[in-house]
Amino acid sequence: MSIQLNEEGRLKHFLTTEGLSRDILTEILDTANSFISTQERSVKTVPLLRGKTVVNLFFENSTRTRSTFELAAKRLSANILNLDIARSATSKGETLMDTLWNLESMYSDMFIVRHSDSGAAHFIAEHITPNVAVINAGDGRHAHPTQAMLDMLTIRREKNNFENLSVAIVGDILHSRVARSQIYALKTLGCNDVRVIGPNTLIPKDIESLGVRAFNNMQQGLKGVDVIIMLRLQKERMQNALLPSESEYYRLFGLDTHKLAMANSDAIVMHPGPINRGVEIESAVADGSQSVILKQVSNGIPMRMAIMAMAMGGQNQDRQEQAK
Amino acid sequence: MKIMPQNNIIIKNGHVFDPSQKLDGVMDIYIENDRIVALAKAPQGFVASETIDASDKMIFPGFIDLNAFIGEPGRTHRGNMQTETLAAARSGFTSICSTPDSKPVVDSAAVASLIQDKARDAGYCQVLPIGALTANLEGEQLSNMSSLKDAGCIALGNLEYTFKDSHVIKQCYHYAAGFDITVMVTPLDVALANEGYMHEGPTSTQLGLAGIPESAETASLAQHLILCEETGVKLHISRITSKRALEMILTAQERGLPVTCDVALGNLIFTDEDCKGYNSLMHVTPCYRSSKDRQALLDAVNAGHIAICSNHKPHDLAAKMAPFSATLSGISVLDSFSGVLFDLVKQNKLTLKAAIQAVSSAPAAILGLGQGSIEVEKSASLCIVDLDQSITLTAKDLASKGNNNPWLNKALSGKVVCTINQGHIVYQV
Repeated sequence: MSIQLNEEGRLKHFLTTEGLSRDILTEILDTANSFISTQERSVKTVPLLRGKTVVNLFFENSTRTRSTFELAAKRLSANILNLDIARSATSKGETLMDTLWNLESMYSDMFIVRHSDSGAAHFIAEHITPNVAVINAGDGRHAHPTQAMLDMLTIRREKNNFENLSVAIVGDILHSRVARSQIYALKTLGCNDVRVIGPNTLIPKDIESLGVRAFNNMQQGLKGVDVIIMLRLQKERMQNALLPSESEYYRLFGLDTHKLAMANSDAIVMHPGPINRGVEIESAVADGSQSVILKQVSNGIPMRMAIMAMAMGGQNQDRQEQAK
Repeated sequence: MKIMPQNNIIIKNGHVFDPSQKLDGVMDIYIENDRIVALAKAPQGFVASETIDASDKMIFPGFIDLNAFIGEPGRTHRGNMQTETLAAARSGFTSICSTPDSKPVVDSAAVASLIQDKARDAGYCQVLPIGALTANLEGEQLSNMSSLKDAGCIALGNLEYTFKDSHVIKQCYHYAAGFDITVMVTPLDVALANEGYMHEGPTSTQLGLAGIPESAETASLAQHLILCEETGVKLHISRITSKRALEMILTAQERGLPVTCDVALGNLIFTDEDCKGYNSLMHVTPCYRSSKDRQALLDAVNAGHIAICSNHKPHDLAAKMAPFSATLSGISVLDSFSGVLFDLVKQNKLTLKAAIQAVSSAPAAILGLGQGSIEVEKSASLCIVDLDQSITLTAKDLASKGNNNPWLNKALSGKVVCTINQGHIVYQV
């Protein structure tokens, strides 16, 4: 039994898109879809998490992601506590456990966790007191499943299904938790043609084991694709012998109108943000008619609402079982 | 060893098994003080002060461990002489090589002597300290190699601690070669390891954990082998992990280089795939690699090419209570060693002959010890094992201070019922 599911097979934590069934991923998409309409009303809150306490536990700074979780929690009528915890360089493990024990004594109902160590959310879910839901808001290079699911929502709303799509993920696959979560979600949802494109130094070893094809050449990799997902290139990648320069990277892998023409004419362009204009994407493309980047941003709130509501539902179900 | 009165033991009806002496059959063993005085037939006038009935049990040479962390001195929150050597004795070990990364480091004769004194006081196992090859294991200055050897260090090693540069390695080897000192290293190119935590492969990609490529081991190994060839130092490669490294060492041996190697028991059991789920007990140094590598290492043990060590690294619980990459590496092995080893035999992954050689005559030969065999006139160090029994250890059964034992609550094969170290019964069920 996956640590993410309760005994009924319902979601109770959301740590990774890996290992979840197509039914669960589809249910997440459907639930998020239903929340989209509530976001267009003048009163945007729904009472699903009324009386619940959600803690934003961010060991790594991220104003954007934290804000969307905060807003999503508020629209579900939860009480939200934001904790930015600077990581100490030493005895990280003890700090994390100590932090957890302290927070447990405050009777929280849900932790939204971002941490620079891969597996951190998993670790917290394993050691947390029962009935507290853990949502992974990004762990190291491992997973960023809420981002991946809002991307899946965006793709489904644009393309209706996943079966016949060709999807290319471009850029720094090696360090990208978003890419890993997207790959698992796409494969589970039925997408058979997932490609990753980048220089060898930014593609992790044995990536084919995830069921994708790797390309070093943008022109070849983009041929006939329906969805292009650009990844953010961190400035520090210019060090450590990963890349020669931003200009060479842009020349080879930056998405400009010329390269975009290799894709299908109705291909959509996505980016998890924040965008580096002129590094991984040309402004004309980012702001162009094929770009759905801002739609991704708006889908972020209903998707996070859906995941929080479902995980809390799974925990409540557990709690009722225990009470019986 | 504690001073004991005259001590004559007869072990009756046991199945004596020592491939190095071609012993494989039921026979009695006669022990007088610390020596074996006769096999099968009682010496004239032998009067036993103690009789052990070993019917239906196997008798093996006492096991020798090439790499175990004990914790004394200075790191006793992880383990102490009493706890760790008792754990060893319970697995049939009569000698263990302790690693030099105590606090202070074993880079002075005083620390080397202290460890041996403490081991004698504890009385379970002979502890053979591995001295530091460089001062404070910092990889810059040569340690007092000759003094360390004279103080009882069985070998000198930097193990997984790195060297400042290749010149230092060469000078260490050059110097050690002049005093016939065995040097132990664990090849690892730190730059190629690139702050990785596990084997680089499909699982590291899936888990998003930085990987340690095979080349981090093999590129460094190539350098050590070349410097071994140039200096003639007696080199022991501690805890190899990959098929490729094994092939390189076998080729070097064929070319006549004085090089030997061992593998950690865990690398014969686990692979990188066991890291799935971020099991921090699978965070070890050196790392577990692919199933192909594991199979090659098992084959090498069966062929008699390599020894097996415990790579025992006890930790308290907190050390493993964190996300994978934030945990300390290593597992506590000694309590479960014999059960895991005999499990490999039971599952036909190792022959009994190969398993016993790899923990007795092979390490003895590597260290140039006159032990590791059941022989008349040699030291009476042996263990008696009931291979038909199984054992299941829980956390409270552990002798070691390390809770980081991946085999807790699992049924393992074979039960050590008695360990005799230099004529003394140090452990008996």
